[in-house]
Amino acid sequence: MYRFAKAAVNLTGQAARQARHGSTAPPDFHQKYGNGLMVGGLVFCTAVWGYVLTQTGITWNLSPIGKVMPKPWREPEE
Amino acid sequence: MLASRALRLVGKRAISTSVCLRGGHGVAKVEDYTLPAYFDRRENPLPDIRYVQNLSPVQASLKEKEKGAWAALSADEKIALYRISFHQSFAEMNQESAEWKSVVAGIFFLMGLTGLLVLWQRKYVYGPVPHTLDPEYKQKELQRMLDMRMNPVEGFSANWDYENKQWKK
Repeated sequence: MYRFAKAAVNLTGQAARQARHGSTAPPDFHQKYGNGLMVGGLVFCTAVWGYVLTQTGITWNLSPIGKVMPKPWREPEE
Repeated sequence: MLASRALRLVGKRAISTSVCLRGGHGVAKVEDYTLPAYFDRRENPLPDIRYVQNLSPVQASLKEKEKGAWAALSADEKIALYRISFHQSFAEMNQESAEWKSVVAGIFFLMGLTGLLVLWQRKYVYGPVPHTLDPEYKQKELQRMLDMRMNPVEGFSANWDYENKQWKK
């Protein structure tokens, strides 16, 4: 138990002395281009889907509540 | 019997290179994967072998110097000795990468390609839109639904104000 406490104190002492220097390794592909690729991908995705959802003539048949005004439908009977 | 005794003399470490008990057929081919290998793993801090197996003359002389007093080694030499024995330091092997950014970018790109696929499908696969979806037809349909009092309690017609002929706010 005593030895454990001694070791525990030693550990914390070492942690306090450690200085973080940061990595000097050259940036890899992901660090150089990751952010740009993410933004580019997002722009491409939203552009394509924005066009598809609005400009291609796909019918969504959204609810008329609050949007459409009714129109008389009865045709004069012959 | 004699061959197994000889094997025991050779020792456990050299088992991979010793003669197999094959009754005189010769040495079996030693496969790469059977030999001790080097891994950079947190859970196995001291791998079975050194990272650099074939030492250059400079490295060989450094290893000779290592046999003497370590206080005589400069800091650079100590680092060079470390790099002979190990490939990546713990800090290097544990560091996080930015790979997730490329992965997310790939996800967005493939979703965009899917959108292009849907576009092609709309142009070349879908038939014409039925006339029942024309705006004018939908307006008449709406009036008929309200006339029928469809779902008047909590549903569709409940949203329509029949007194003032408008949608409820």
